[in-house]
Amino acid sequence: MTVDKGNKLARLSLDRPSSSKLATDPKLDSTSQKRIGDQLRAMYDELMQQPVPDRFRELLDQLDKGNGGKGGAQ
Amino acid sequence: MSPAPEAELREAILAAVPSLRAFAISLSGQVDRADDLVQDTLLRALSNLHRFEPGTNLNAWLFTILRNLFHSEYRKRRREIEDPDGSYAGRLRVHPEQGSHLDFEDFRSALAKLPSDQREALLLVGASGFSYEEAAHICGCAVGTIKSRVNRARLRLASLLNVDDIEDLGPDSMTRAAIQG
Repeated sequence: MTVDKGNKLARLSLDRPSSSKLATDPKLDSTSQKRIGDQLRAMYDELMQQPVPDRFRELLDQLDKGNGGKGGAQ
Repeated sequence: MSPAPEAELREAILAAVPSLRAFAISLSGQVDRADDLVQDTLLRALSNLHRFEPGTNLNAWLFTILRNLFHSEYRKRRREIEDPDGSYAGRLRVHPEQGSHLDFEDFRSALAKLPSDQREALLLVGASGFSYEEAAHICGCAVGTIKSRVNRARLRLASLLNVDDIEDLGPDSMTRAAIQG
């Protein structure tokens, strides 16, 4: 008896994702998806390669030296 | 003497700055504001170092801090000045002197037109290298929510950038437009 219930549940959960996918989520084809991903990463890489502003290194150095106080950077 | 693990952690935090900046610039659309965000993130992280659990993902922790600061600041600003989405796109100019990549300009302005929840989900998953699970953790929402935001962000970008206009010149594009609403 419990086995029957289990089967029913399994069938239901198999049905649900496929029908909800059809109903709500249009998906981009893989070529377009790749083109967008490539552009996004190219833009991001360019940002990542910018030199780190000195203020951040200085901030961390400063805190390293004056270690022990809270909010010592102000 | 400061304990070695803390010094190591500081080095790791410094190493994360380029990716934090890239995220902050892409998220806010302004370099100055992004750098302020990164600075606030570093200060907050450093004063909460004891809360970081060793062995967990440091980048995810830092991105969570930055993301939360961005949103609380954004809410504060919105209360002060009304900041319609249209002006945002105009401000999204990162470094015009290197503007040889016209594609990036188009891409950036398209990115700026996305709702911020979709933009941040796409940036975390598609550019910062986080898994859907990590992105969900950073944004404090369900994995399914991240997945659908990323999907919607891609669809919107594709239509803004006409990514698929090579393939469909016919009635197909109208169908697609109808589906997207």
